[in-house]
Amino acid sequence: MSMLIRRSNLMVPVTNAKFAAGAWRHGADAITLDLEDGVVPALKAGARELVKDAVAVAGKGAAEVFVRVNKEFLVADVEASTWPGLAGIMLPKVESAEDVVEASDALTSAERRHGIEPGTLSLILLLESANAVFRVREIIAASERVSQVGLDESDLSASLGISPVAEYDPFVYARGRMAIEATAAGVEPIGIAHPLGTLPRLLSGDDMLKVATDSKNLGFKGIICPHTSWVSSVNTAFTPTESQVDFYTQVRDVFAQAIAAGTAAVPFAGRMIDVPVDEWAKVVIATSTACNLRDAEKQTAMEAASV
Amino acid sequence: MADHIAVHRSGLTMPVVTPRFIDNAWRRGCDFINMDLEDSVPQHMKGYARTLIKDAITNVTKGGAEAFTRINHDLVLADLEGIIWPGLAKVNYPKAEYGEEIQLLDRIISRLEQAGGIRPGTVEIGADIETSVGVANAYDIAAASPRVREFGGAGGYDMSRDLGVEMFVGFDQFVYGKGEVELAALALGLEPHTAPFTANTTGSVGDPDRAFREAEAARKCGFRVGGGLHPNVVEPQTRGFTPTQEEVDEAHQVLEQYRQLEVSGETWAETDGNIIDRYEAARARKLLDWSELCAARDQEKAEAFARVEAAEA
Repeated sequence: MSMLIRRSNLMVPVTNAKFAAGAWRHGADAITLDLEDGVVPALKAGARELVKDAVAVAGKGAAEVFVRVNKEFLVADVEASTWPGLAGIMLPKVESAEDVVEASDALTSAERRHGIEPGTLSLILLLESANAVFRVREIIAASERVSQVGLDESDLSASLGISPVAEYDPFVYARGRMAIEATAAGVEPIGIAHPLGTLPRLLSGDDMLKVATDSKNLGFKGIICPHTSWVSSVNTAFTPTESQVDFYTQVRDVFAQAIAAGTAAVPFAGRMIDVPVDEWAKVVIATSTACNLRDAEKQTAMEAASV
Repeated sequence: MADHIAVHRSGLTMPVVTPRFIDNAWRRGCDFINMDLEDSVPQHMKGYARTLIKDAITNVTKGGAEAFTRINHDLVLADLEGIIWPGLAKVNYPKAEYGEEIQLLDRIISRLEQAGGIRPGTVEIGADIETSVGVANAYDIAAASPRVREFGGAGGYDMSRDLGVEMFVGFDQFVYGKGEVELAALALGLEPHTAPFTANTTGSVGDPDRAFREAEAARKCGFRVGGGLHPNVVEPQTRGFTPTQEEVDEAHQVLEQYRQLEVSGETWAETDGNIIDRYEAARARKLLDWSELCAARDQEKAEAFARVEAAEA
């Protein structure tokens, strides 16, 4: 099974011509063109007209391109987004399995009209209410198209009446529940560690890398980036480090020697290496390889597009 | 709570195929020995490993420890048929994900108990939660058989691989899953087997000070079940899960003060900044009960040791 590498997903309002035109230069694994909260109501109709060209431009650096649709304008937004190069849509404010089925049906019908193979377009779901967090299992299971699910912590705060502060993390449970339920269903959970989920802002390189690394260790597979400055830290954080790859390569060697000697439990570096450690070592090494391939693919595309 | 409260403060998991571990296991003084057929046994030795269990049960229990066996998730029938012998107290089933798996285990164990003349219901099932599917189905799994008496997990290497997180980070990456399994256990009246977060950035399995701090922290959060991989952690775990003399004395004082309170007809009183009420009294009684169980268990083990020494003299 090929590994999905969608570490950073850069969100840009499709109506901001400068951002939409430059998004491909930042090395994000995915770019999401926003028709929803990033676009004021008066501009919604006009924004749809911009999507076709914006999808093509955003894909120049080999990023997967998504469009965040308005739940209340689902059909019109999906129709306006279905152009060559679209990877899928991001569906906000999901409240029920029915919402997901409706979006999936809209994609099926768009695929048919545009001669795209059925089931190609992917869904990223955003949970923004207590109800959605509670119903996460049925929501995720509602469509095979669902590739990722995330919390919109700002909207969740509003839904719960929380005025977030950096000192206290209000969403330990919500994040944990989503990470477990998504992983159990074979869907990637995405999200960011406190406080950047509720209070997104710019952080310096090291601080950003720390928060992004914590996010990975909460079980998330990627982060939606509202700022271009997040992208490179996020890509780095979700890519195994060289020292991790070295360590786990040694683990695999030590374990293989132990098996040959008749035991599957062997002490190494103060730890006990057995099957699950060796299995994790395989994951780390395979993830590293897949990340490097993805980065090379984007690099090649970006260089070609820059000429 | 279960009628019989087991005392499983300390234990060692060891590959049953390594004779120097098994032969010395009885000397370690743990409450249980978990003989592993799973992750510490190479694939090509699985069949051989099973044949060692019968004798190993006798061997590892000489010092008063209970004998457990961890079977393979994918070799349930063959493993169970090889290991259900008198003296086996518990089968640990790794990567439990569905209640149906536990029901199947229960049926096979019941048949084997009957065939082997073992009292029905003797063999406990440890349903180890090590994946996100297991966490998602925690309640169904814990409720699937009366043989499940201790229930927990939701941490460790398998869980870390399933979630894609590193093991030794500075925060509790498993907090949600641990909470879910604890709630499932308590809702069903089972003994919860999990622990509060204590940072461990080295991954060391043989640090006695760390083991003591961890066990003490777990006990203060209401947990009583331990277990580890290195002989160095046995004594610190046993100690960490056992109430101290000072705590026992305090509990007696609390109960004495509560008795006086009942005489006076008051529902609560404050002495030296501490509240005395029926909740504190219940807590004190529970601590004293546990302290007595621990003392009885230590006595059993001491007697077993003495018997081995007498036999060898």
